[in-house]
Amino acid sequence: MKLTLTINGAPREVEASPTARLLDVLRGPLALTGSKEGCGEGECGACTVLLDGDPVNACLVLAGQCEGREVITVEGLADGQSLTPLQRAFAEHGGAQCGICTPGMLVSATAYEKTHKSLVTLRESIAGNICRCTGYQRIVDSIERAGDADRTGTFGSVGA
Amino acid sequence: MSIADLAHHSMWRPATLPELLTRLAERHAKTQSTILLAGGTDWVVEQELSPPHSDPAKLPLLADISRLEELRGIELTGSTLRIGAAATYLEMRRHPHIGQGDKRAALLARMAQDLGALQIQARGTLGGNLATGSPAADGVAALMAYDTTVVLQSTRGERKVPITAYQTGYKRSVREGDEVITAFEIDLPARYSWYWRKVGTRRAQSISKVALAAVAVVDSGKLTRVGLGMASVAPVTAPLQNTRTLLLSTPIADLTRDSLAAAVRSDCAPIDDVRSTREYREHCARVVVHDFCRQLGAPV
Repeated sequence: MKLTLTINGAPREVEASPTARLLDVLRGPLALTGSKEGCGEGECGACTVLLDGDPVNACLVLAGQCEGREVITVEGLADGQSLTPLQRAFAEHGGAQCGICTPGMLVSATAYEKTHKSLVTLRESIAGNICRCTGYQRIVDSIERAGDADRTGTFGSVGA
Repeated sequence: MSIADLAHHSMWRPATLPELLTRLAERHAKTQSTILLAGGTDWVVEQELSPPHSDPAKLPLLADISRLEELRGIELTGSTLRIGAAATYLEMRRHPHIGQGDKRAALLARMAQDLGALQIQARGTLGGNLATGSPAADGVAALMAYDTTVVLQSTRGERKVPITAYQTGYKRSVREGDEVITAFEIDLPARYSWYWRKVGTRRAQSISKVALAAVAVVDSGKLTRVGLGMASVAPVTAPLQNTRTLLLSTPIADLTRDSLAAAVRSDCAPIDDVRSTREYREHCARVVVHDFCRQLGAPV
């Protein structure tokens, strides 16, 4: 059956069962393998994507439930080769180590920055994402510093 | 069913509640099974853990009710808060009468904050929490504290059931196969105190070892209304009836540790399982009730 959804800003038609997991449709027919399967039961957050702007576990959402809705995966965060401040901060401050949790962490942190700052604390925003390498502090540092980068203007000198 | 069966189901997305009720009634009359799928945060996990279905041709129909408008709104009319059964925990946390604004139903937002993590809160619903029937359901404990009315609809009409009468045993309820939980109605007191305490292995994502939700109206040193709901201490969410009776019949200043402990013990029947032990749960049940009463001013 053909399903129509908006994936990372573009409308897509995909041949898939509406009762397949969104995660399997993303990683299979849509070839978006950034979202990882960790636990497969909504515990680890490695498959976190945004559904109409809110973070969800793609392993617990059925593809048919997303028909006509907007899904953003980790692939949809960067603009081409240009990383977001959040992605740069993860790279620069050790927020990514083995990398399995990183796509989900980035998606949860993006939701925090864009919509959830007034509702939850930074740590609560990634409480549904498990990381076994960093001890979390470097992830927290990365998200905090990405915020700094966003607030810093561009400074230049000419002919000094 | 296992996760391997998942893609072989049929999915149907009813456009309106009458359409859902009509087809549900037809299927129920033919003893065909229908799964009402809201957030899927329990049901999809259950598929992951189950063996493959012996006869894939007999898989139930999945009715996706997660976007059914009639099940989604949250409205305050007078003192009655009506929450659609398919409204999500995240919607409750954002709502101007629950997690934001005047926070008249703040207990629900506080409970929602401890339920799963944001990813679960963005999908999970109170209707799903009650329909799944887990005695560990945090949402049901909070609904019980508010002495919520459960609204059920079918082609036969609407009926309302007090939350304390809804569950009839472990994963069993008064809901008939052609009925849908459409909403919850809460009579909010003008002034009240509330309490929420969840005991789990960590703050996010843990299933409660014990959780207590409580609502209390105090007048001249006595409780005039009290609602309690405790998770994970009995085959169904425990309303702690004996403890309620004690609280309503005793001035707060006369409550004692021993009388409360005896009432709580008589209200609970916890078990040993993968998450905790009977002994620890009995201890926690007592401790959280004492804590709640202490915060009301009781000398316990």
